[in-house]
Amino acid sequence: MNLLEMKHISKSFGGVKALQDVSLTVAKGEICALMGENGAGKSTLMNILTGVITMDTGVIVFDGKTYDDPSINQMENAGISFVHQELNVINDLMVYENIFLNREIKTKLGLLDSKKMIAETQELFASLGVDINPTEQVSNLKTSEKQLLEICRALHMDAKLLILDEPTTSLSNEEIERLFSILRRMAKQGKSFIFISHKMPEIFAIADSYTVFRNGQYVSSGTIKETTPEKMTSDMTGETFSEKEIYSSRELGDVVLNVVNLSGEGFEDINFSLRKNEILALTGLAGCGASELMQTLFGASPIEGGYIECHGKKISGDIKHFMKNKIAMLPSNRKENSVIHDLTIIENMYSAEHQISGNHQLINNNKENGRYQKQKNSLKIKAENASDSINSLSGGNQQKVFLARWLNTEADVLLFDNPTQGVDVGAKAEIYQLIMDFANDGKAIIINTLEIPEIMKVADRCIVFYDGKISRIFNHNEINEKDVMLYSTNAINAEGD
Amino acid sequence: MNKKTNLLSSMSKLWSHYSYIFVFLLIIIVYAFVIGNNGQSFNAGHLSTILASQYTVIVGTIALGMSLIIITGQIDLSVGSTLVITTASAIVGYNLSGGNILVMIVAALLSGFICGLINGLFVGLAKMPPFIVTLGTMLIYRSLALSFVNARVDFAEAAGISSGQFKLLNTFDSYELIRMQFGSGSLDLFGFKIPYITMLFVLLTVLFIVLTQKTKYGKSVYAVGSNEKAARLTGINVTRVKISVFVITGLLVGVAGIMQACKMSNVNPASSGQSYEMYAIASVVLGGVSMSGGRGKLLGVFFGAMSYCTVNTIIAISGLPITMQDTFQGIVLIAVIFIQTVSPIIKEKIEHYQKRKHNQLRSENND
Repeated sequence: MNLLEMKHISKSFGGVKALQDVSLTVAKGEICALMGENGAGKSTLMNILTGVITMDTGVIVFDGKTYDDPSINQMENAGISFVHQELNVINDLMVYENIFLNREIKTKLGLLDSKKMIAETQELFASLGVDINPTEQVSNLKTSEKQLLEICRALHMDAKLLILDEPTTSLSNEEIERLFSILRRMAKQGKSFIFISHKMPEIFAIADSYTVFRNGQYVSSGTIKETTPEKMTSDMTGETFSEKEIYSSRELGDVVLNVVNLSGEGFEDINFSLRKNEILALTGLAGCGASELMQTLFGASPIEGGYIECHGKKISGDIKHFMKNKIAMLPSNRKENSVIHDLTIIENMYSAEHQISGNHQLINNNKENGRYQKQKNSLKIKAENASDSINSLSGGNQQKVFLARWLNTEADVLLFDNPTQGVDVGAKAEIYQLIMDFANDGKAIIINTLEIPEIMKVADRCIVFYDGKISRIFNHNEINEKDVMLYSTNAINAEGD
Repeated sequence: MNKKTNLLSSMSKLWSHYSYIFVFLLIIIVYAFVIGNNGQSFNAGHLSTILASQYTVIVGTIALGMSLIIITGQIDLSVGSTLVITTASAIVGYNLSGGNILVMIVAALLSGFICGLINGLFVGLAKMPPFIVTLGTMLIYRSLALSFVNARVDFAEAAGISSGQFKLLNTFDSYELIRMQFGSGSLDLFGFKIPYITMLFVLLTVLFIVLTQKTKYGKSVYAVGSNEKAARLTGINVTRVKISVFVITGLLVGVAGIMQACKMSNVNPASSGQSYEMYAIASVVLGGVSMSGGRGKLLGVFFGAMSYCTVNTIIAISGLPITMQDTFQGIVLIAVIFIQTVSPIIKEKIEHYQKRKHNQLRSENND
């Protein structure tokens, strides 16, 4: 019997079709893997299911009841619970207090009945095979235990269907195994799960069935037994054609950057070298270590082992020191890490150059204005006045200002961390064209991105990360979406199991 | 209709850029009325009095530093107590060195530097909240000065310590110069008297306008207050900037200490500089500097200090009972900030309303 049926769901945001006529079914006691790349529509569908956003067309049947326009409360009361990626437990309270949050049991006098609550928590944990002390302070729990606590809380609220959004990202292999055995036991007791994950080995270890989305559309579904990691990967990525016109092979120069046995927070034992004129792409799933590596290559996070050699010289120290060695980084998450909101466009453009351009403190306005105009023209920045607020520009134009910020430092190693994040399609292409031009001009470039089609467009080589380590290095002509996905989800090793 | 909206938008632009001048003018108008009620007419002399007031000059000088601290998103509550230390150092240095002006200056600046550095190191290196650190040093600095006045009877006379306060000795040749000329004298500019101390304050203001608007260091101060994370990723040493603004403020309080010594010739650790941290913060805020950091101009702080001083003067001459003065000051401060915070919200509401109306009209036309 099907516990959940979502039928012919469509949803548009503005003109963008986020979901087109998708369907999803989950049976009682089933663990269903919901698969798709970033932007495939998984979160939109889950938000519709939990009543956070309303669907344009379609219908939800849950536990025999039909919903056209469900509210958050309705779905919660019906027994659907969303365990988010970022945990929602309260660290300063005890375990049982978290379980009973907002639904505390009171004595006749109106005081909290902790004895009863602790006893009930114990009962709940015993029935699920969870080994946590109900009176422990939550801040003392391991991440995996917090994850379990949140799942238990949902079950205590009589949830029939739990949505788990990448529940294993912060867990060790052992902890994952423990979580999985508990999930299996719960499933046997009749609870259903929607399991969202990018990690192929996990899907094949835990799920009973799967559904794949791509670009807001339903692609395939079935039982896990009848599919393979390879088939699922090609379902997820599709036969998307990416134009390769902007790529041109170049004569590569000398080695500029040498990374030897480098370890840091989130990655270990990384070795590679980067040559002048080269574009090297790093990719992998969120949390694979590539982004952390970028931070360390820029001096923003400490080196824990190994070393970085730039122009034949070992470098370490703070960001300014790396900048003086001609390394620049365009960070990810523009709003948080790049935009200095209260400064003007031109001030934003020069904020990095000011730090390394000698001891002369006074700003030469004429010189800066002249160079501003030049950068504005060559990068095609659409801005009215140099003294306008940076907030007056669109995302793509802001990003170009930050490109200029780093070009102004005359760095010759450019690190781009997710350079097209939150940038529209047109500006994306422009930015990649610019990156190509920089490489032709003699810069050495590293791009970290999750978007494989973009890597195919520009990268000479691509390093795929899994779990903090290099899982494969591809040359330009070997890069294809399917193989990159296989290596970044470690599906290649799941097959052998 | 178009013209009207243009006028409105350019007026709101002017207001958002120069609100501190409007605030000052408004307060001056109120001042003129109050004087008028007392049977006088407002003239240049009154303006000169405001400029010469210790509230404008001493609090204003401290406020220049306070504004840098607030622009980086921090706060310094210890400046009033630091003023006692720097003034005392200036006086003791002057008296013990036999009236050496240079020693006086160095003593004041050095003590201010040390007080600021202590604040800065706790905040910058130990990453402690500036509110708590400077709340602590506020108590410590004043109490140190107090216990010094009470305990060091051995060389009290030589150091100019008497009846619970530090006092400049008037037996040296240079006394006339620093006390009567620099401290109390003024330059007569076509009948408009500008006190020398005020000129020093104006000079410092100009210097700090240049520092904040025209130097790389100034930009990094704004960057740290605006987005610390992004500032760090452009190579700015955030810790160093945070420490530096406390040190600069300490030095400015040192200058203010010299002003206090020359103007008042004494400092009383029990009462001098009391609540000056609040006056400085009020000047900074009246000057249009955002308490959340990243925004504000030093020229605004100059006007803010004068506005604050004028409010004080109005209270003094309005015949308001002394017990009600702080109430009135508090009301003025809250009123100004209320206008500054609420006006953008109202503006947004109006724009939103206009947009909706516009859309409605368009859809009606389409029908």
